[in-house]
Amino acid sequence: MMTIFQLFWSFLQIGFTSFGGLSMIPLISSEMLGHGWMTSTEVSDIVAIAEMTPGPLGLNCATFAGIRVAGVPGALAANFGMLMPTFTICAAGAVFFERFKNSDVLKHVMTVVRPVCIGLIWAVIISLCMENYAVAGQVQLTSILIGCLGVYLLLGRKWSVPKVICLAAALGIIFCRG
Amino acid sequence: MRGNIKRAFRLYMYFFRIGWFTFGGGWSIVAQMQTDFVEKEKAIDAQELLDIVSVGRSLPGTMIGNVAYLFGYHQCGVLGGVLSVLGIITPPLVILSIVTLFYHSFRDNPYVARALTGVRAVVAPVILSAVWKLQKAGSPLPKPMFYGLLAFGCVLSLVFDVSSVLVVLSGVIFGVIYHFVSKRKGAAAQ
Repeated sequence: MMTIFQLFWSFLQIGFTSFGGLSMIPLISSEMLGHGWMTSTEVSDIVAIAEMTPGPLGLNCATFAGIRVAGVPGALAANFGMLMPTFTICAAGAVFFERFKNSDVLKHVMTVVRPVCIGLIWAVIISLCMENYAVAGQVQLTSILIGCLGVYLLLGRKWSVPKVICLAAALGIIFCRG
Repeated sequence: MRGNIKRAFRLYMYFFRIGWFTFGGGWSIVAQMQTDFVEKEKAIDAQELLDIVSVGRSLPGTMIGNVAYLFGYHQCGVLGGVLSVLGIITPPLVILSIVTLFYHSFRDNPYVARALTGVRAVVAPVILSAVWKLQKAGSPLPKPMFYGLLAFGCVLSLVFDVSSVLVVLSGVIFGVIYHFVSKRKGAAAQ
């Protein structure tokens, strides 16, 4: 019971102090090593696995650590801890946003924030391209071809996202070297 | 009230269905929401989706959890928000539980690695398809200002590695300035 609460508490702290993505890795690492829940090899393995499998990194780490330390209840507690910011700060933010979204100030502010946010998404796309199309300085021709096919199917043929992802997985099994 | 609960459960089912395809730090979900809610169902417009993403990205916690909550809340209140979040996290919870149990064989399986290399190759195109449509949605800002702000966000994050929270916050500051400038202009015109 104590362990389950500790898991919840650890991931609650990680959740509140992180803003998504790789920024939370040092925090996760120090919490896991500090409690003796994982070795440092396991931490780097889980980061790799959490990045590969679907789902956000933080929640995937929570599930992995939770199950390892205290089974399914541990995983649920860790996930719940990780989601606490959503159920508190974001829930309050949602009320605020819905109430004031027709005010002049918020309208003007969001008009300016939108293009900045689009810029942020472009930054994600560019860094993903650098990671996945050139691994260790080597241009990955197969990946680039699969990527081009993806752009064509999504924008040209209006394929849905899951369909494209499944096709890419199949093409990966046939053509990629792993 | 009855209808609201029903709608909240439909949101759970929707996010449960797309939760299996959460790649690229959750950005693939934004792409999916763009296609389903903006294009097909017209439940929200592209601007509203961008607002949800900006707010969700800049609050602490998991981005996609925040985005799901904000969308669910917008659709049918607190219950909608909570069920959307639970829906989107169920698939990763199931997948990661299985992966954790077969950790070693999963890590060393060549077919899994190849399939995931293939998936990683389309994550950028998936996000690209979303941003493309969001960008086309139009903005009252003059074009140079729009692209200037876009480049500002992109360069700050990509080149200078500034955290997205600070990038969005600086956008908010520009937004407040923009508000006062356009108000003054409006007053001068009258």
